[in-house]
Amino acid sequence: MDSSVHLDNTVMQFGDFTAIQQTDLTIKSGEFFSFLGPSGCGKTTILNMISGFIDPTQGDIKIGGKSMRGVPANKRPTSMIFQNLALFPLMTVAENIEFGLEVRGVSKSERKKASDRLLELVALEGSGTKRVSELSGGQKQRIAIARALAVEPQVLLLDEPLSALDLKLRQHMRTELKAIQRKTGITFIYITHDQGEALTMSDRVAVMSAGRIQQVADPITLYRDPHTAFVASFVGENNGVSGKVIEANSDFVVLDCGPLGKLAGRSQGNIAVGADATLFIRPEHFRLQAEEGMHTLRATIDEVNFEGAYLTLNANTPANLPLSIQLGTHQFSDSLKKGAPVSLSYNEQDAIVIAGGGHV
Amino acid sequence: MFSQLKSRFGSSLAVGIIGMIAIWLIGLVILPQILMVDYSFRPNLLPADIGGPNDTYSLMNYETLFSNKIHLAIFFKTIWSSVLVTSLTLVVSYPIAFYLAKVATPQKAALCLLLLIIPFWINEILRTFSWYIILAYKGPLNALLLGLGIIDRPIRFLSGDGGVLIGMVYAYILFMIFPIYNAIESLDTNQIKAARNLGAGWIRTHWRVVIPHAKPGIATGCIMTFMLAAGSYAVPALLGSPGSRWFTQIIYNWFFEGGDWNQGAAYAFLLLIICIGFIALVMRVFKVGLGDIAK
Repeated sequence: MDSSVHLDNTVMQFGDFTAIQQTDLTIKSGEFFSFLGPSGCGKTTILNMISGFIDPTQGDIKIGGKSMRGVPANKRPTSMIFQNLALFPLMTVAENIEFGLEVRGVSKSERKKASDRLLELVALEGSGTKRVSELSGGQKQRIAIARALAVEPQVLLLDEPLSALDLKLRQHMRTELKAIQRKTGITFIYITHDQGEALTMSDRVAVMSAGRIQQVADPITLYRDPHTAFVASFVGENNGVSGKVIEANSDFVVLDCGPLGKLAGRSQGNIAVGADATLFIRPEHFRLQAEEGMHTLRATIDEVNFEGAYLTLNANTPANLPLSIQLGTHQFSDSLKKGAPVSLSYNEQDAIVIAGGGHV
Repeated sequence: MFSQLKSRFGSSLAVGIIGMIAIWLIGLVILPQILMVDYSFRPNLLPADIGGPNDTYSLMNYETLFSNKIHLAIFFKTIWSSVLVTSLTLVVSYPIAFYLAKVATPQKAALCLLLLIIPFWINEILRTFSWYIILAYKGPLNALLLGLGIIDRPIRFLSGDGGVLIGMVYAYILFMIFPIYNAIESLDTNQIKAARNLGAGWIRTHWRVVIPHAKPGIATGCIMTFMLAAGSYAVPALLGSPGSRWFTQIIYNWFFEGGDWNQGAAYAFLLLIICIGFIALVMRVFKVGLGDIAK
């Protein structure tokens, strides 16, 4: 069954405010797709448009190729898991799960069968008669999933459903959600501001900012080849150094970064000589020992943090630009202490230059 | 309570406050009620005979109601009509309350609330009289309906139950809207969205999600409206006479026209007891506890 979702030149305006700039995007059938962005970037608006709680000002939403214009929320083949779960507190667990089937006029015995099967899927067999208030946070989470799956949606919409859980449970639920998605083959559309969630679970991620999709890519591409400065600094940690382009070819760009000297990196898109640009280096790409062909920055250590598997350093450069550096614990030495000078090298393959300056 | 007041206001002021509350409660609430209970069990006698051999306690005054077929009919009609008023008020108020709590923007809700409250700054008698004018045989409502061609001859709204129903729904609508509004407002909007999202139409969403949540508010509103309607005097007297009589009018007549306070007191207590019993029954049926209402 085709359960793709197509945002067909969709625009959403609230009065004078444009929540979603014109967007054209296809989410493939059976895909685990995430919208990642800071709060207020419009990701929840997209979810509300797909589920039918609001209608786009312009353009259309298509699910499985069918236009959803004028189709009310209760007639769409979507099902949503809310941020606060929104389980019905006055109903039992089974009644919650069966609600969508009850609405569809499914017989009592069929409903019972369905809720038993779903409770088994989320590993909560025998909890059907419990009240919602008797469940723990993680159990409620699973009931919300079961309730959403009960109506056999083509598309499951998840609105930051894990944000209320503690870290351990959150990590566990990530794996579980992914497993459920594989088992059911339903298209999952996941909204989050947590890049860890987006990167670990998704087949593809759309990074959003200010109502605009910045980049759509699989997690690895997104991390390695950010297209915009926003993506570079929002997804994972990054150090941005701005400068003027003094040399450029199709692959590499050299920047004059003032007191930091000349630095080079892979070019992202067409960057002309003389333009402002920003070089991004991830904290884990710095080395303490320079090798052949590496570029080096000089800095002074501000702070050393031991994090178990790795060390993070905060350092300051002569240009008064703070850098964050991540090193394997084995690289620790007594010379790494506050106030000590350090030379930081990186491979130009690992840095990326994006047009536009003054960023960070 | 006393020690709290004492620590805040000092002992003399605390004694004063408690004393005033006690005087108010005992002198103005409890004693008059006891007096009326006492009255209701004694016969209506000439002043000279009070305290004499005929002044004995009996259930006679209470029995009068059951031997007077007309009074009994009016009594049950009052209860039944109050149920009708309550249901009608509920039907009118629920959508308004839902609109105010979940649909309207804060500005619109504030405006609506203001428009609802303003008429209540006017005295109840005046408000009822204005309905008297609106509903009159040659009044504006009939003129409007005739003008729109909805009816071909004027309707006699007054001197019957119709006018009383309309007047009472109007008089008590706020007592219904506010508790329901409060209850619905506390409902998480995502619950409504979740029900819609799972395929529920509007009727089922209300029936399964909004109404169960708002039940305590609905119960509170219904109890207030029912008690006010059953105990109402002005509306039936102005809008219903002479076709529609209310039991309160009979009680009034016993007191102030018949001069029989003993009989009037007995009737008043019968109305009170039946009303309380009726409410207890309804709360039982709809599984609402006193604790839910106090919320």
